[in-house]
Amino acid sequence: MTDLTPITALGTAEAPSVAFGPLTVAEDARLGLASLALRRGADVPEPMGLKLPGPGDCVAGAGVGAFWTGPGQWMLEAPGRAEEDFAAEVARNAPGCSVTEQTDGWAAFDIVSDAGAAPVDALLERLVNLPPASLLPGKATRTVLEHLGVFVIRRAGDRLTVLGMRSAAGSLWHALTVAAKRREDAG
Amino acid sequence: MLIPHPLLGPRDAQEFTYLGDARLLERPDPAAENAEARFCDYVYLRDNPAGVHRELWFHEHGDRSWLVVTRDTVTHEILGAELAADVKGAGA
Amino acid sequence: MSRIDGGLIDRTRTLTFRFDGRRYQGHPGDTLASALLANGVRLVGRSFKYHRPRGVLSAGSEEPNALVTLRSGARAEPNTRATTAELFDGLEAASQNRWPTVGFDLLAANDLSAPLLTAGFYYKTFMWPRGWWEKLYEPAIRRAAGLGRLSMEPDPDAYDKGFLHPDLLVVGGGAAGLAAALTAGRAGAQVVLADEDFRLGGRLLAERHALDDAPAADWVRSVEAELAGLPNVRMLTRATVFGAYDHGVYGVVERVSDHLARPGGAVRQTLWRITAKRTVLAAGATERHIPFRDNDRPGIMLAGAMRAYANRWAVAPKGRVAVFTNNDDGHRTAADLVARGVPVMAVIDPREDAPNLGGYPTWTGAVVTGARGRRGLSAIEVVRNGRPEWVECASLGVSGGWNPNVALASHHRGRPQWSEEHLAFLPGAELPPGMVVAGAAAGNGTTHAALRDGAMKARDALEELGVRAAAIDLPEAEDRPDRPAAYWHVPDRGRAWVDFQNDVTVKDIRLAHKENMRPVEQLKRWTTLGMATDQGKTANVTALAVMAELTGKGIPQTGTTIFRPPYTPVALSVLGGGDTGAHFRPTRLTPTHEWAKAQGAEFVEVGQWMRAQYFPKDGETHWRQSVNREAMAVRKSIGLCDVTTLGKIDVQGAEAGEFLNRVYSNTMATLKVGRVRYGLMLREDGVAYDDGTCARLGEDHYVITTTTANAGLVFRNMEFARQCLWPDLDVQLISATDAWAQIAVAGPQSRTLLSRIVDDADLSNEAFPFMACAAVTVCGGLRARLFRISFSGELAYEIAVPARYGNALMERLMHRGQDLGVTPYGTEALGVLRIEKGHAVAAEINGQTTAAMLGLARMVSEKKDSIGAVMSRRAGLVEDRRRLVGLRPVDPSRQVVAGAHLFTAGAEQRTETDQGWVTSSCFSPHLGSYIAMGFLEDGQDRLGEIVVAADPLAGTDIEAKVVSPHFVDPEGERLRD
Repeated sequence: MTDLTPITALGTAEAPSVAFGPLTVAEDARLGLASLALRRGADVPEPMGLKLPGPGDCVAGAGVGAFWTGPGQWMLEAPGRAEEDFAAEVARNAPGCSVTEQTDGWAAFDIVSDAGAAPVDALLERLVNLPPASLLPGKATRTVLEHLGVFVIRRAGDRLTVLGMRSAAGSLWHALTVAAKRREDAG
Repeated sequence: MLIPHPLLGPRDAQEFTYLGDARLLERPDPAAENAEARFCDYVYLRDNPAGVHRELWFHEHGDRSWLVVTRDTVTHEILGAELAADVKGAGA
Repeated sequence: MSRIDGGLIDRTRTLTFRFDGRRYQGHPGDTLASALLANGVRLVGRSFKYHRPRGVLSAGSEEPNALVTLRSGARAEPNTRATTAELFDGLEAASQNRWPTVGFDLLAANDLSAPLLTAGFYYKTFMWPRGWWEKLYEPAIRRAAGLGRLSMEPDPDAYDKGFLHPDLLVVGGGAAGLAAALTAGRAGAQVVLADEDFRLGGRLLAERHALDDAPAADWVRSVEAELAGLPNVRMLTRATVFGAYDHGVYGVVERVSDHLARPGGAVRQTLWRITAKRTVLAAGATERHIPFRDNDRPGIMLAGAMRAYANRWAVAPKGRVAVFTNNDDGHRTAADLVARGVPVMAVIDPREDAPNLGGYPTWTGAVVTGARGRRGLSAIEVVRNGRPEWVECASLGVSGGWNPNVALASHHRGRPQWSEEHLAFLPGAELPPGMVVAGAAAGNGTTHAALRDGAMKARDALEELGVRAAAIDLPEAEDRPDRPAAYWHVPDRGRAWVDFQNDVTVKDIRLAHKENMRPVEQLKRWTTLGMATDQGKTANVTALAVMAELTGKGIPQTGTTIFRPPYTPVALSVLGGGDTGAHFRPTRLTPTHEWAKAQGAEFVEVGQWMRAQYFPKDGETHWRQSVNREAMAVRKSIGLCDVTTLGKIDVQGAEAGEFLNRVYSNTMATLKVGRVRYGLMLREDGVAYDDGTCARLGEDHYVITTTTANAGLVFRNMEFARQCLWPDLDVQLISATDAWAQIAVAGPQSRTLLSRIVDDADLSNEAFPFMACAAVTVCGGLRARLFRISFSGELAYEIAVPARYGNALMERLMHRGQDLGVTPYGTEALGVLRIEKGHAVAAEINGQTTAAMLGLARMVSEKKDSIGAVMSRRAGLVEDRRRLVGLRPVDPSRQVVAGAHLFTAGAEQRTETDQGWVTSSCFSPHLGSYIAMGFLEDGQDRLGEIVVAADPLAGTDIEAKVVSPHFVDPEGERLRD
């Protein structure tokens, strides 16, 4: 294996994690990502046992997950496996599809609540202009957040992941932490 | 403004980039005899109606689909939206 | 005025505040206006034009007179309405538009010049001598005009934004709004209730009405408590719905901490974008006055406001009190005052059938024709039975009727409709989609009607959403109609004010009519009526009624002006949404940013990106020293530059090659696996718009690059081609710009250095020639991509690794290349190197130039179609004979500046003789001379000619020799080494 040392999207050695009352905001520097697009006339595959979801949805399988990103296109996730060539594995498991490495295209931020869904809903109200139905558990969509294009993935009522362009990680971290702090201050 | 995305439901227009008249879908045949004149019309001429208009929107901060949206340019009422790829496919 | 019993103020706590430097006291629940009135302060400001003494007119956001500067220092906020400013302990406020004091204002001299300062006077004056406008008149007018002054310091507060998506938005928390919210809340719908006041209740708090024989405030309290307990209801107080936008979107400003003595770190205001499926507009109505001579004396206020101050704020009007009204509602003021122990001299009513609600005399068939008391009302002139009579009076309440607040209902250009029955404008037939109007705003203004109308409209709105709402029990309440008379103003030859804030009188309206400014939009702009911060809320309808009389057309035909957001003023800070300073826009950092920072690099903004511009070393005092050193290092040994910012698009699919053949002007279908080709993209109108490289990594797999600035645009255009032009082609696209850190390794030693980090690599010229590409691994197995492409013209490569390793790779390359003299270089040196090679960038491919002009005519294939190919051959483009050339100043120490225009030596410099322009320029350390690139008529045939580069802005003419733009290694031998 290589002896080069990676850094996080925020440019640090370790991924930061900060608590704001019931919410904790942390970078997940270990999420592997690969895009999968269907070729013309192809059937929808079930790579690694995943039933690829429909528009606006996400699914989680055994050690992998996926969310819909466009007609015939999905983003596959491999928690903890950012150092691996996950795209190569997906390509093997979905022959004939167009697979692209996306791991370091994105900075991933996890927001976890220790008080149920309400703090997460209150935070989302300040960040994205989406109707609550698009933010229910099991939903995932791309939208605008503080002038940045982001994927918002509601894994559970008390768990949210936000993916933004890796190069803009600092701006996204600022937006998320300021909003979380304000929710904490508002009580 | 809200764009009723056919797959994702109503979404804020700020997620989109607007291009213009949907007649841009009908690119002339470059091999035709009067291709240059046809391309000139294609590139430069627009009807610009005060009323119902079919136009192209790109869901840049969304699913990156191109949509054909039918919108009344006077009232901004949106009468429908479909995937451009479907419109093109149907017309082909 | 003085305090009486009752009111909705908390007398257990006393607040201290300052106005114009003097200390006063008030209570929680007071506004600044109510507290000033309670302390007997009636003079609160000077009018805009004439600097006449003014007092409080109203009790709400329609206030035209009592504008103060609230707070001081950086938080000083001019033009704050004292009638809506909540009192807090330590509040400081100052009157405006007066010098030296509000009591003694020198600029009141304007009032004496009134005949010269009539409507539109500035269109007829200050014209001569012409030169004096800029130097004298305008500065003087600016100093004298305007109301408050800005602090000119940055806003120290934080602002926020939020997004809500209710089923039902209820605008206004008065009788109708509360009934609507309660109906919808109990039905389980998602409800947002917004009111601009700090308490819910609307007019219910200002009147002495009983609901089911109990004070109205009791009912309000119980509804509020119930709504607070419903999780599906959100109440926003201190929140103004300022605009109705498309598709049920509303803009709302919530004043989160404006009312706190120290906002501190808390958010000051929040901008809410509310997307509502349905909306009930329960915005109430605003009272209008009746203009008469000198009707702007402090102490004359709207009748409804006078009783609001008595009922809600427990403030009695000063001295002898009278009421002047043309409708039954005005009489309530007299009845309420009497009920509170304040005697009323008379209610003066022009109607012969005027009523009497008990405890005061009614003077029927009577009108007020004048008022005395410059700094505070002292007497009024009344005409009854044809005879004028001056009577002592210190407080006069005036009611000309009530105007439903139709603004939001009219924001989509729907015109309100005149109702002869109401003598008011009601919301028109065309409302913003999804909106219904209820209560006084719809002309259903009695308390009984408002309650029921609000509940019913909410039920109907929810029905449309498929939600069944039960009818709720509503209390019994008064149901007395106003019976207004069409008595709009008291005719007179003196000045009778209509718009108090902009100092517009009935005389001004007459003048506008005389000068043919009769349509209401012209009346407005000629007189400035309705254009002040209150937008004429207490003046507009009266004004157009006066104009209707003058034209004889009648009010419906006269119509209203257009209503536009915002309903009341909105601070720019809150519209900004909270992003300020460094975080105003997102910033994008390259993967090697941390390393570059540690090297002491100077950074430059390239769009959203921060890129290293140059890396100053110890002893270097000027950037050109660093840049020269970096550029020379690349040509002599090796340089490293982070080029991640250039767009990368991953293109795959069985027909990817065919697709690329159609989007690039040159042939891409013949590109072999393992090879890279330079590509040019045209717009469909034939003009060049971007260039880059296309690398074929596999049979169906390409990675293309774009310029940094156009990454998003190219992707969008490619998706357009894919989805809209050729949806049958099997091709898929995705952006990969951020995913891969890409470092240019350029210079004669680049192969040597790369061999030290690429695992098991054969980088010989045979195995990996110029324009080759491959997937490789580096540093013991890390996946990477290697491209042998050169922007500098030297032997060069670009190496890409997953972005998280970019920083470490740069460090490794620096370390392993130390003995080779490896040098980091930034965007400046990058620019010098490419200009030395004559490579085009955005300065040359600027959206106005063609492939032929760029010297790339052969890159537009005639064997296949591509975007822009057909139009690129049109006569208009083909006729352009300007060609890209290099320029060397005859004196090598003189800079030929980008933007300079080129002329034949000795020719007169005019537009017609213009030969072209200079696009890029730099100092070339390799040549020891300034050099430049530009477009020159027939440039390719003029090599060796001396032309003139003219910079008329700097006043310089520089002679330069026309040369090939390939200044260094013109045969390109180093590239292919």
